[in-house]
Amino acid sequence: MSTHGESLATDLAYWGIGPYHQALPGPFRLNLNLDGEVIAETKTEIGFIHRSLEKTFELHPWSSALMYADRLDPEAASFGEMAVALAIEEVAEIAVPVRAQSIRVLVNELNRVSCHLGFLARMAQAVGAETLFHYALRDRERILDQFELLTGARFSLNFFRLGGVTADVTDGFLERVLDICEVLKIRLKEYNDLFSFNYAFLKRSRGIGVISREQILAHGLTGPNARASGFSTDTRKSEPYSGYQLLDFPVLVENDGNGDVHSRFLIRLREISQSTDILKQVIESIPGGSFLSQPVSKPVKPQPGEAYIKVESPRGTLGCHLVSEGGDRPSRVQFRVPSMAAIAILPEILRGSRMEDLPVILASLDLGIAEVDR
Amino acid sequence: MTPEANHWAEKWKQIIGLPDFLPESVVAVLVLSLVYTLVVVPSGAAVNYLARKVGADLQARVGPNRVGPLGLLQPFADLVKLLQKQVDSKLGMNEKIWLGLHTMALYSTVAVLPLGSLLLLINTEMSAFLPFWASLVIAMGTMLLGLSQKSIPGWFGGIRAASQALAGALPAIAALIAVGVRAGSFFWSDIADSQGAGILAWGVFDSPFEPISFFCFLASGLVVMGIAPFDGGLSVQDIHGGVSSHLHGTQLALFRLGRHYGFFLWATITAVLFLGGWEVPDGVQAWLTENTSGFAIQMVESVLLLMKTFGLMIFVSILARVTPRIRSDQITDLSWKVLSPLSLAALAGTAIWAFWTAKNGGSP
Repeated sequence: MSTHGESLATDLAYWGIGPYHQALPGPFRLNLNLDGEVIAETKTEIGFIHRSLEKTFELHPWSSALMYADRLDPEAASFGEMAVALAIEEVAEIAVPVRAQSIRVLVNELNRVSCHLGFLARMAQAVGAETLFHYALRDRERILDQFELLTGARFSLNFFRLGGVTADVTDGFLERVLDICEVLKIRLKEYNDLFSFNYAFLKRSRGIGVISREQILAHGLTGPNARASGFSTDTRKSEPYSGYQLLDFPVLVENDGNGDVHSRFLIRLREISQSTDILKQVIESIPGGSFLSQPVSKPVKPQPGEAYIKVESPRGTLGCHLVSEGGDRPSRVQFRVPSMAAIAILPEILRGSRMEDLPVILASLDLGIAEVDR
Repeated sequence: MTPEANHWAEKWKQIIGLPDFLPESVVAVLVLSLVYTLVVVPSGAAVNYLARKVGADLQARVGPNRVGPLGLLQPFADLVKLLQKQVDSKLGMNEKIWLGLHTMALYSTVAVLPLGSLLLLINTEMSAFLPFWASLVIAMGTMLLGLSQKSIPGWFGGIRAASQALAGALPAIAALIAVGVRAGSFFWSDIADSQGAGILAWGVFDSPFEPISFFCFLASGLVVMGIAPFDGGLSVQDIHGGVSSHLHGTQLALFRLGRHYGFFLWATITAVLFLGGWEVPDGVQAWLTENTSGFAIQMVESVLLLMKTFGLMIFVSILARVTPRIRSDQITDLSWKVLSPLSLAALAGTAIWAFWTAKNGGSP
């Protein structure tokens, strides 16, 4: 009679998380092979909220097509609008009044701050620090309130029009934005005192999810994620648009950091501060004049041609390639979204990290799944 | 039964008005049920409410304010909601056994819970060590529950809970022994009586080494019990709450109440070991003895101790709200590399201090 020897299973464990999971910033899937608590291999799966957004642009007249741009990334809605508006305006040769340009920058920078505050909240949630989560969302509410007053919406702003914006800034709006800037300066100090250099947070963020300069180049990471690794890149400086060339601000780079989670956290805190400075400059120098160069009802019929526009969204460089064949609607609209590169780099930076660091690393990359799937 | 045990049984018979012929075992069961229903369960609701209110204030929120005046009935509403939920019928036999077993084992420690000089049901040389058994039971039960769940969150949650309990046990025991050295005994009554009612007469200020022991004991308790911010085993972010991710309704209520009880147990013990226990100021005690029955003194003692316990629990939960959750490998590192040496050094220091104090006739 033979006996069966017991064998110990030493294979890697498989865990597929998503499309819905607390650690994920949006619906996508991570297929993980785990060696104990350590992630050995990651495969990403995207496309769960594909909405045929790029195709949708081809089905609508030029001026209506623009309203779909804020669906690209609902949290940073005005950046999609900015990219598509600039692209159509370039193809159709529509001039934008200087006041409209300033209002666009104003909305963009406010949106950048609100998006980064959302990042702080997600980051705090990922490491389990409830208090910063509530503080960041409390302060974001103030900005969303201003959006609601100005545009009627809190997230899908739909405020940009061909040749300007929907409406002029309302009475007292600029003063209230200045108030918010002042409050944010105080809040940032509060965040720093409470959280940024908290020993427990440093233990959770220093040396975790490190992205090297080589990886940044290989995967085409842009925006805060690239700047956190010491890579000086900012579309607002290198290819200024909508009057950014008139504003005085440096490209923020986290030179001391090594591209880890903590550097990515700090660079966004500094960017909030920088955006408040830009907002103040814009408000001080906002020119008079019209906020729209042509009526919205005027049909647009551009000549055949194409344009490629880059804007600096809170997640990185957002590119919009637009083709006109002379018809009454776009022939092709295509986006280059910053979060795509961050998704692509995931398998590399997750390899060897612990399961408990997964939510922290994902939050630190500030992924916008809506723009990845689009 | 020890003479002390007879003592409490007779007193309790008088208080509840039970006939004399009832055996001690029946009295013990009655008293245990009373303590459980009148102290343990309501304390869960009270601490839950207070921690949520204080935490909300800290986070610029309102907190519970809808159910009952000032939201006071919120914990009961939560409990009723949990009890109404449909129970997941997929819970296997193993899980039922582990959940039931570890809950029963846990609550058996109500018998050694020091809640006042009258509420010491079992007061022996081993009493102070029995709660450790409870804490290891809660960790062991959580681990086996997690391992029998056949899911990654359960496995990770269970193993993290067990590894933390193992790492936290040594510093906790070392700190407890240091208290025994100070008090000269491990009877709850002796430990409490070795301290005074005034803050400076508390055990934690007895010698320069006691604060270290206090810190190690409190921190290692949080590690052993897996209480926030040391709750990697129940992390929602990566493993959806670990072991509790597969529990629903009544099971979840049972599991959460068990964890609350673990926290309550540890905070009570910490208060008795280091924060003066149930000692009432002499003047108050004299007045109470003169003007009221002995029962009133016991009540004042228990209320004083519960206030200290709640204060400690709320302090810890406020800390947990501002501190990020610490990774479980970092927690075990902290336990083995920081808390263990510190508590052993404090134990050695306390022993030397006690030796010198005895040699010099009471002064160091």
